[in-house]
Amino acid sequence: MRPNGGLTGELGDLSVAIEGVARDAGLDFFDVVFELLDAGDVNAIASYGGFPVRYPSWRFGMEYERLEKGYRFGLSKIYELVINNDPTYAYLVRSNSLMEQKLVMAHVFGHADFFKHNVWFRPTERQMVDVMASHGTRMRRYVDAFGQDCVERFLDLALSLDTLIDPYLPVRGLRAGLGDTEREDHLSRARRSFDVACSSPVARGTAAAEPGGAGAGDAATFDLLGFLAERADLEEWQRDVLRMVRAEAYYFAPQRMTKIMNEGWASFWHSRILTRGVLGVEEIVDFADCHSGATATVPGQLNPYKLGIDLFRYAEEKGMDLFHLRAVHNDVSFIDAVIDEEFAERSRLFVYDRNSRTGRTETVRRDWRETKDELLRSLSWGGLPRIELADPDHFGRGELLLRHHFDGRELQLDQAGTLLKQLASLWGRAVHLLTREADGGRRLTAEDGEVRIVEVPGGGGEAGDGPEGLRAG
Amino acid sequence: MFRIERDRARFREIVRGKLRQDLRKYLSSTELIGRRGDKAVSIPIPQVELPRFRFGDNSKRGVGQGDGDGGPPGDGEASEGEGAGGAGDQEGRHILEVDVDLADLAEMLGDELELPDIQPRGDRLLSSEGGRYSGIRQAGPRSLRHFRRTFRNALKRTVASGEWDSADPRVVPQGDDERFRWRRTCPRPESSAVIFHIMDVSGSMGREQKDVVRIKAFWIDTWLRSQYQNLEVVYVVHDAVAKVVDQQTFFHLRESGGTKISSAYELCLDLIRERYRPEEWNIYPFHYSDGDNWSARDTERCVGILRDEVLPRVNQFCYGQVKSAYGSGQFKKDLDSSLADEERLVTASVDDREGIPDAVRAFLGSGR
Repeated sequence: MRPNGGLTGELGDLSVAIEGVARDAGLDFFDVVFELLDAGDVNAIASYGGFPVRYPSWRFGMEYERLEKGYRFGLSKIYELVINNDPTYAYLVRSNSLMEQKLVMAHVFGHADFFKHNVWFRPTERQMVDVMASHGTRMRRYVDAFGQDCVERFLDLALSLDTLIDPYLPVRGLRAGLGDTEREDHLSRARRSFDVACSSPVARGTAAAEPGGAGAGDAATFDLLGFLAERADLEEWQRDVLRMVRAEAYYFAPQRMTKIMNEGWASFWHSRILTRGVLGVEEIVDFADCHSGATATVPGQLNPYKLGIDLFRYAEEKGMDLFHLRAVHNDVSFIDAVIDEEFAERSRLFVYDRNSRTGRTETVRRDWRETKDELLRSLSWGGLPRIELADPDHFGRGELLLRHHFDGRELQLDQAGTLLKQLASLWGRAVHLLTREADGGRRLTAEDGEVRIVEVPGGGGEAGDGPEGLRAG
Repeated sequence: MFRIERDRARFREIVRGKLRQDLRKYLSSTELIGRRGDKAVSIPIPQVELPRFRFGDNSKRGVGQGDGDGGPPGDGEASEGEGAGGAGDQEGRHILEVDVDLADLAEMLGDELELPDIQPRGDRLLSSEGGRYSGIRQAGPRSLRHFRRTFRNALKRTVASGEWDSADPRVVPQGDDERFRWRRTCPRPESSAVIFHIMDVSGSMGREQKDVVRIKAFWIDTWLRSQYQNLEVVYVVHDAVAKVVDQQTFFHLRESGGTKISSAYELCLDLIRERYRPEEWNIYPFHYSDGDNWSARDTERCVGILRDEVLPRVNQFCYGQVKSAYGSGQFKKDLDSSLADEERLVTASVDDREGIPDAVRAFLGSGR
């Protein structure tokens, strides 16, 4: 079967032609399989995070409701959807114009190249379509055995915890020489995906974590999900649910960490590829309209397409090696490497904040250094609160101590408290969280269905990264 | 997509509080904001947001690009990229008429008023509809190969022929092992319906009366639309003469003059004879008036047309009488007394807006 297999006729020919231009330009990717679908089906697949088959959950239904209504009332529509997998799957919306299909295809080849070569994607599961389907089968089996409400409740909790992983963990594994996926032949890859489906992916994770750890017996980790899956006192099916959620979280994490680069890279290439003979003269104006729509900045909002493409164009102008950049960076390190005063000036970056007096959001700073710092801070740790399992045996009583690494942004304490309560009932013992509010440290303790909040003099989590300060506590 | 519909159905049940009561407290509503011209339109989207570790109020700060000093920029966290590597949603430029979901409304209406589903008369046009890949054949295109079935057959054959070697568990499908998915079409009866909205626009029908009619007509349309795949609506207005008008005119026309109801019934009958023959259509005339007819003779004539010509041809004829300051309300009394034993005639009176649900239930509650 030809690559690009799903398409026939004019679109099929187009995909082959565009793939040729992309390869000539130096892009390199797994086979890309395009599928042409109606908008409704694309919305459905997008609701499942891009996968046609996943486990059942009302959350996907909720997402579908949003996408579907947005589409039906003409407020938003999905242009393209591409899945990090080998082969790479991409969906085209049937109702798009031919020019739009060209744009999407070129854009997809950019993403596909990024998926294959960016180091953060290197350790991701490349047979994720199969793995997702297997997760679906297992989850349905548990639903049949234990009832939908019961499984769903546990799944809901697991999904609430799915940001509590260590996004750096898989890459540390790479450095230790594990998971060199590129030289694997097809058979061993297939076998591995079988292993992944049948055994614990966590086993690999914790093995990889060992070299990074601070010392023997010290189990401080950001991978709370992995910790719970292995150490909590759970039914076997619950353990499996946690493992599945964790495997999916690790699969999606690099997308959060490279959103700007990934969209920037794809946009950079779609505009380059299309303006090199792929578009007919009569399509140029429509293309420019569509492209500028995608890269338009809503006042004050950061558009990853726009910032990303600006960064790559600027880097090219400065004589940097783009292919190297796209291979070794994530958003944070990329921005750190590329943004300088000239760039900040040219693309008019600024910091905004909410004025606590008027309640309005306003521009507060245009100094490039501060702006860059702010940008880096907002993107670090995938833009999520950084929460570490600091002590798995707190007070020597098997209680958990979590620590929020405070960077100036507070947690929503009521939500954190509720989640902590659920966590304590899952763990079976008390769970503590150290965090900070504007006026000082807080210690949240969830025990016996209650949450207590006490002020901690001197602050719970300092801005520093080292977990040392905390161990004493 | 079948699966997603199930997930969506479950989500809706949760939103309605029928399932998972524990999630109720996390239910909130966000909205999609659209623009039509310079008017903002909002579509409410229910949302269940479970507690997580997330940033709170003091983290509205962020970085923007561009001029950024005109007006409040809205909240701009570096857009949270969940899911697929770049589900690039982009705003479209379509026109928006409604801010509620009609299918939802119809369903809610049905639930609320306990309306029965309509049993269409006879089986009408047959159409082959949809079709699913649920069949299996031995020949087909490669893209539809049923992988599991194929390999299962190959495995069976391998075992049966004694070639199975557990040390080298190799299974190679051959010609006869191949199975392919096949599309099965299932013919389904297709049903068509036509609604006649007939309104008295004589001088005695004031603005409020027309509003009541408008609202009632809207709900009836919504319900019948959910019941029939193919629904046509005919709008008729009458004073002393009747005419077919478009929707816009129907709801906005201001007329004055006398009232001759028979003119409307005759027009309706002509249309049924010429275009909406009962063998092919489920027919629902609705007539709204303040019940003040020109003369007793004309009312007699109306009764005659209804009894002999219209009622035998329609699923149901509904007469809704709207209370007005001028109307005598005599027409409903006349109909009720002359046609008391006609099952297909439903009459209802509506005093004000509050009475609309009862009238709708009276009209649609029989499931005809």
